[in-house]
Amino acid sequence: MIKTVNLSKVFRTDEVETTALNLVSFSITKGEFVAIMGPSGCGKSTLLNILGLLDNPTSGEYYLFEREVSKFTERQRALLRKQNIGFVFQNFNLVDELTVFENIELPLIYRGMYSGERKKRVEQILEQMQIMHRKKHFPLQLSGGQQQRVAVARAVVTRPNLILADEPTGNLDSANGEEVMSILEKLNQSGTTIIMVTHSQRDADYAQRIIRLFDGQIVTENIRERFVI
Amino acid sequence: MFKNYINSAFRNILKNKFYSALNIIGLTVGLVSTIFILLYIRDELSFDKYNTNYKRIYRLESDFRIGEKHDKFAITSFPLAPAPKLEYPEIESFTRMFRNENMLIRCNNKEFYENNIWFTDSTHFSIFSCKFIYGSPGKALCEPNTIVLTQKLAKKYFGSENPLGKLIYTNGNTSYKVSGVIENLPGNTHIQYDGLISMSTIAKFIGFERFNSMQPEAFWNVNPFSFILLKPNVQIETLLQKSPEFYKKYMETIGKQINANFKLMATGLGQIHLHSTLTADEPTGNIFYVYIFSFVAFFILLIAAINYMNMATAKSTNRAKEVGMRKVIGAYRVQIQRQFLFESVVLAFISLIISLFLIQSFLPMFNTLTDKQMSFGIISDPLISVGILLITLLVGLISGSYPAFYLSSFIPAVVLKEKNKVGRKNALLRKILVVFQFVISIFMISSTLIVSSQFRFFQNKNIGFDKENLLFTQIQDTTFAKSIPAFKQELLKNPDIIGVSTSFGLPYNNFSIQVMRVENGGKMQEIALNNIIADYDFIKIMGMQIVKGRDFDKTRGTDLQKAVIINETAAKKLGWIEPLGKKIQYDLNLDGTANRNTRVIGVVKDFNYISLHNQIEPMVIFLQQRPGGYLTIKIKEGTINKSLGYINGVWQKFGVKNPFDYKIMTDSYNTVYAHEKKLTQIFTVFSVISLFIALLGLLGLASFVTEQRTKEIGIRKISGASVASITGMFYYEFSLLLGIAFVIASPISYFFLSNWLEKFAYHVTVSPITFLLSGIIAWVVTMLAISFHILKAATENPVNAIKYE
Repeated sequence: MIKTVNLSKVFRTDEVETTALNLVSFSITKGEFVAIMGPSGCGKSTLLNILGLLDNPTSGEYYLFEREVSKFTERQRALLRKQNIGFVFQNFNLVDELTVFENIELPLIYRGMYSGERKKRVEQILEQMQIMHRKKHFPLQLSGGQQQRVAVARAVVTRPNLILADEPTGNLDSANGEEVMSILEKLNQSGTTIIMVTHSQRDADYAQRIIRLFDGQIVTENIRERFVI
Repeated sequence: MFKNYINSAFRNILKNKFYSALNIIGLTVGLVSTIFILLYIRDELSFDKYNTNYKRIYRLESDFRIGEKHDKFAITSFPLAPAPKLEYPEIESFTRMFRNENMLIRCNNKEFYENNIWFTDSTHFSIFSCKFIYGSPGKALCEPNTIVLTQKLAKKYFGSENPLGKLIYTNGNTSYKVSGVIENLPGNTHIQYDGLISMSTIAKFIGFERFNSMQPEAFWNVNPFSFILLKPNVQIETLLQKSPEFYKKYMETIGKQINANFKLMATGLGQIHLHSTLTADEPTGNIFYVYIFSFVAFFILLIAAINYMNMATAKSTNRAKEVGMRKVIGAYRVQIQRQFLFESVVLAFISLIISLFLIQSFLPMFNTLTDKQMSFGIISDPLISVGILLITLLVGLISGSYPAFYLSSFIPAVVLKEKNKVGRKNALLRKILVVFQFVISIFMISSTLIVSSQFRFFQNKNIGFDKENLLFTQIQDTTFAKSIPAFKQELLKNPDIIGVSTSFGLPYNNFSIQVMRVENGGKMQEIALNNIIADYDFIKIMGMQIVKGRDFDKTRGTDLQKAVIINETAAKKLGWIEPLGKKIQYDLNLDGTANRNTRVIGVVKDFNYISLHNQIEPMVIFLQQRPGGYLTIKIKEGTINKSLGYINGVWQKFGVKNPFDYKIMTDSYNTVYAHEKKLTQIFTVFSVISLFIALLGLLGLASFVTEQRTKEIGIRKISGASVASITGMFYYEFSLLLGIAFVIASPISYFFLSNWLEKFAYHVTVSPITFLLSGIIAWVVTMLAISFHILKAATENPVNAIKYE
């Protein structure tokens, strides 16, 4: 499903050049749950942004669904992203001015889905995430755990093939964090590929494979349970 | 998607109440100003176009060249309309109009002085659109001594009864039968009349043959306005091309004798109000002011739009995360742009709704400011309402354009991680926009200062005669005219009455132009000169100054027939280094002789007898053979009420048939500059508005800037900075922007204002002090406006600032 070949990312300003990723190569098969770990500044989020088509690599190749996408334009990336990828962020990134229902509905609007169909899909997800009773509330009226559940709901409402999670439990207490991780685990068990960036070993243990980065390079891959087609 | 945009737009407006309020206030004030200006311009452009056939109606005008003197008149001679009607089939109809000033009307035991009664031909209603309430247009003014009243005048004289067939009387007991009542004229007509008397009345009075004469002499005295209605599909140029042949046939005989020439001119009815600059015209508008106000409206709206742009981009930090997330979940850039444009358009339409309420409330005040009579119903005019909607939409789109472009450019990977970095970028563009706003504001302030300075100049300039404490009236009663000398003596018994004079012609009211013969190198040469015919006391009463020779002297018997006084400009123009003793012949005969053969006895210092818009021209003052014309009374300062009581008493004692209806010279003078006075008032109002809107933007920006730099302020204070140094830092930054605006605005203002002043023969000079004052005003007001936020930030506990971060 995913394959990177010598992926590199260099950030340049007038005076400073920073290599965030250096010749990173790996592959991920469909249905895998992969955790990416490493110290702060090792390039985890940069890698996730590239995998999620939020950024382009400086060099190297990135194959997603058998297509080489490293040179895609913003519009091409946006199209591929909305059709296939869901995102979960550490700080939830919900739109404060929209209700829970409207936040979850947003990706479906951008896909051009009709309102009747949207309503049905969103309510289904709300039930699944057990937040139907909060559908008319605004994000600031919810707890951290509830907000992250909404974010996960938004990520999965389009039934993506791939979910990218950037420290999804980073702003949550342990109980809420466990709750979110178990949701991700269930999603993975139903066939969704998940790539998660985390500092937490406990969270990483939910994954089948852990890729460790250091200074922009893969140092180890710890395969807990290699998924074989 | 639309519902999503609406929800997002309204909730964002409510979430940021302070900034939303600033934006709405700014846009509202901008829209109110613009809509008012739009209404004003529409009214100005619509003058006379309510007439169904206005596109075919033209006013004939006269272009005279007499010697070197070249004059263009809005009025013509009496036969100038009927003659072409006979000659040229292109003309369907004609009508003439002239005002009967200060007409005394007696009706139902009441007396009224009317200044808006005009004489006109019976064809008037076949050319101009008038709605008859009583009577019929085809018959109303066919007979002599008939009058058509407007509704307003009919109500004044007859109340609610039908006046058709009733009689009204004028001086000398002449009666006029009311033959029609028409609806009041709309405000947008260049000739406002309250009543129309049949032109055949004059024909009957002086003789039909004489009135309808088409002898050459009849074409060389101008009086009425003449209008023609062309047949459909006829171009006016076709007619004007025939002017030379017309002149040859009807006017050349006299023209050759007096070294004169004539050309026929014409202006379309719809063009007269804004484009006519001819002599002897009714008060008109000025297309120049339409352009100015169009620019003012544009700039005020631009300032309001820039405010929105600045505040939206400054607050972009708060929307960055949302933009990033929307892009992550699939929004294209154009969809983000559409969302923000939608928000700005919503804000614009909210402002429009508030604007409409404000316009309804302030319309009476605006009408007073502009001398108009617009009603709120004008908004429902399709052209106006579509215009307003389009302007609002345009404002919304322009205001939102840059924020939409800027905000939609955010890269999700950046904004979702680095919260505080966005918004600080583009500070340069924000500063440029602020500078631009202040360039406009400083320009408006400079313009206001110069326009009001020019107006004060008009008010205070030494015009060569003393216009203060002068009352005047027209002598209408011919029997009274004979008693003038005794009347004068009686008045002068009162110590508050300094002097009394009579004259045909008066500064700012009337004077005539006549062809005379003047001495030139031993020969007599024809030339047209302005002249006033006055009594012995005229120059003294007017406070004019004799700079050479002497004033008229009653004790010298020869002065009456042989003396003339000229002004300095006349001496210069005629090339007389020593003007005393030079000959001037007046009241000429065609055989080369003259009825008045005079010599110059004195030169009066130039006095402005017409508007200071125009250069002083040569003026000649002869003595009256008999009293008449204007009666002018000079009274002591501060005694007007007392003096009026005495004058009225003497007036009645002499049995004058009409009441003593007087005018004050300073009022006549001020009327000439009414335009400048209005312009000053209007410019002041719009200067204040543009500065106010710019300040709103600055208020928002000051709030944002201090909020953004809370941490910096905290650290500075912890490091030892005083409140004074913190506030000084911000004042300096804003002052720098103002300084740049001042440097840019000053030469631009100088260029435009100098050009405007050049249109006046007499004007103030544009001084650097004006621009300095504008800059200072803008600076002081700005510093006051932003002080609240700066002082609040500077006096904040620094620990809170660090904790916040």
